[in-house]
Amino acid sequence: MRALFLPRRSPMPGFGLSMGVTVTMLSLVVLLPVGALLWKGASFGATNLWEVVNRPRVWQALLLSFRLSALAALFNLAFGILLAWVLVRYRFAGRRLLDAAVDLPFALPTAVAGIALTALYAPNGLFGALAAEIGWRIAYSQWGIFLALVFVGLPFVVRSVQPVLEDMDREVEEASATLGASRWRTITRVVLPVIMPAALTGFALSLARAVGEYGSVIFIAGNIPMKTEIAPLLIVIQLEEFNYDGATAIGIAMLVLSFTLLLVINLVQIWSRRRIGYV
Amino acid sequence: MISADPVFTRHENRPPPPRTRTCISPTTEPAWVRRTLIGIVLTLLSLLLFAPLWAVFAEALGDGIAAALASLGNRDALSAIRLTLTVAAITVPLNAAFGIAAAWAVTKFDFAGKSLLLTLIDLPFSVSPVVAGLCIVLLFGANTTLGGWLVASGYPVVFALPGIVLATLFITFPFVARELMPVMIEQGRAEEEAALTLGASGWRTFLTVTLPNIRWALVYGVLLCNARAMGEFGAVAVVSGKIRGQTATMPITIEMLYNEYLSVAAFTLAAVLALLALLILAIKTALELRHADALSAIRKH
Repeated sequence: MRALFLPRRSPMPGFGLSMGVTVTMLSLVVLLPVGALLWKGASFGATNLWEVVNRPRVWQALLLSFRLSALAALFNLAFGILLAWVLVRYRFAGRRLLDAAVDLPFALPTAVAGIALTALYAPNGLFGALAAEIGWRIAYSQWGIFLALVFVGLPFVVRSVQPVLEDMDREVEEASATLGASRWRTITRVVLPVIMPAALTGFALSLARAVGEYGSVIFIAGNIPMKTEIAPLLIVIQLEEFNYDGATAIGIAMLVLSFTLLLVINLVQIWSRRRIGYV
Repeated sequence: MISADPVFTRHENRPPPPRTRTCISPTTEPAWVRRTLIGIVLTLLSLLLFAPLWAVFAEALGDGIAAALASLGNRDALSAIRLTLTVAAITVPLNAAFGIAAAWAVTKFDFAGKSLLLTLIDLPFSVSPVVAGLCIVLLFGANTTLGGWLVASGYPVVFALPGIVLATLFITFPFVARELMPVMIEQGRAEEEAALTLGASGWRTFLTVTLPNIRWALVYGVLLCNARAMGEFGAVAVVSGKIRGQTATMPITIEMLYNEYLSVAAFTLAAVLALLALLILAIKTALELRHADALSAIRKH
């Protein structure tokens, strides 16, 4: 433990300064606040925490958040691979514009995205009115939450897969075609395994982002308890009632669930990298 | 005279090349598949990205440009813009300084616990902004020991500027560091070592060797960090207390106006942020086109 964060001999200067700044900022900005949450949870006690979480409304919100986030991340996984493929392999007018536009969800504030999506997909909006004619309610239903989560998670898979596709040798595909594989077989058996680890990284980032997302969702969700209420909103409601214990319990539940999920994804990633022998 | 040089004669004797048949390349898809895929991508991106962007401006200009501009002149709107600029002006330089320090420590030295440090730096990526805000409220809120003492001495953190800055710092924490690290790993340590051998001081080495190498990645990280800092909603909503004219940032003000059915005012403020987002995307694209080599490591990461 004594050797932790101490360098092996190096001619480079500035270790003390850079490490000092890093550890100080990290402690002040991240570790102390997260520690405060865990401390508060510990002093509240495990049984009390469980009592708060183990209510139907909380379970429904957690289930809704994680289920819709998983669905949105899966959609983004498939669409992200397709989008990266089209952007890297095909040449067409407006490709550069499309490439630049993929980053829009990173640059556009979530509250702006939230009200814009609501304006379009609400029953009196441009697309919402069309959907309403066939009896499809998008905004103020789970579809709206799904849409907002797809929006915020869109760039992650594209941006992880794109560089891998760009670096990939065409020779491998040629070899596969020469050996008689159909194009579809080449794509599923040769191309997909190479881009899968990167795609899974993007999937995990997109999922993590979706689970915690608040700004873009609350406008379009309608926020009906037990139906379209996401877990972060429950925390905000508890805080508005000055119920810090309740907020802490739900916050810790969310932390535990998302870390478990990321751990599982990391394990899958390690497994998939081993299986194809690619780092 | 017989032409002895076969190089010049071979040309005339060569049979004409076989007529190239137009055939489908084995490493691409048939034209109809390509067109369908491009069509699907264009449709989905129009529904998901372009239409909402258009909607922001259409709603803002719904009552004409005069009404939109008038809503921006409102006192609350002006104070929201000022607050958002202040928060960004404090958090972005702090995060840039942290990012450079962290990238220097991680890429120029080998030490035990490096992956632990990297995991901790990435932690904010997997914490919900609302939970981040909650953490800050639990640490500095008026009902905690530390927070109570700070409020009593006249330095409230929660429901005041310091809390908003802290929440924004938390959310944007890994942005600059994560952009710099892959570039600095790729460039290695040899150039800095050469400068040091030639007698340059540590600072001089950093300013004249390292900084020029990483400047475009730094600009890139700062842009992303700035976009997020100005647009953060969830974490700020929890710590700001939403006091009109005092702790309401632009995104918070947009929410308040929207909930009061002041649609034009809300969307005009949103359009300002959307213009800023478009500007950031334009600069980013220009950087990528002009300095593709200096930034390639980021994309490979």
